Amino acid sequence: MGKQATEMLKGTLEGIVLAILAGRPAYGYEITAWLRDQGFSDIAEGTIYALLVRVEQRGLVDVAKVPSEKGPPRKVYSLNAQGREYLEEFWTTWSFLAERLEQLRKGGK
Amino acid sequence: MATESNEEKGRYLRYLEVITGSLDDKRRYREYKARVRRLPENWRTAVEALERYLMHFGPMDGAGWISMYEDLADLVERSVADGTPVRDVFGEDPVEFVEAFMANYPAGRYRARERRRFTDAVRRAAGEAPGTEDEAG
Repeated sequence: MGKQATEMLKGTLEGIVLAILAGRPAYGYEITAWLRDQGFSDIAEGTIYALLVRVEQRGLVDVAKVPSEKGPPRKVYSLNAQGREYLEEFWTTWSFLAERLEQLRKGGK
Repeated sequence: MATESNEEKGRYLRYLEVITGSLDDKRRYREYKARVRRLPENWRTAVEALERYLMHFGPMDGAGWISMYEDLADLVERSVADGTPVRDVFGEDPVEFVEAFMANYPAGRYRARERRRFTDAVRRAAGEAPGTEDEAG
């Protein structure tokens, strides 16, 4: 993943993670693995973890501790009503941004 | 502080904690340190380096600071169990990770407050009303 893509991703990562959680509950490791599969290879698992702690503190997700065979329990995150509302807002902002950028590109030809 | 005493021990502990700081936090911190000692050596090295970084930014006091260490231990123990490499957790730029992580806790919030103070001071110096933004056309 290029430096430019990494930089652009930073601002949208929170929305991306919430969108993943809107599909189904997941734990940090799964989210990072999914992102890597999608080609977002530069994302540190620690960064995703920090983001999950943040959205938990802000009450956008619910957390369930699920026992694991090896190691401490896994924290499984799921999007709650407040999180869904926030995600809606994110998509609205995203659409606005994408539309404007597209206009700019067409105008620049 | 005028509080109704419930238990003699409780009262005694409260007095003691005025001097020593929260005993509960101290116990939790000791537990955290024990968890770090049980980590594989390379992880311990990385975690201790992170601790050192954290210590330099903002006073570690007030509610919530201890949960920063506990959350860190949770992350690292989980990663060891999953067999995730150190680099995958800390990232290509470990500073980026630590900054994102720290921002969730009082130590990080202390810095955030100072940043806000600085930003506000510049705004006042520039003679702007709070919250105004320049519209670049």
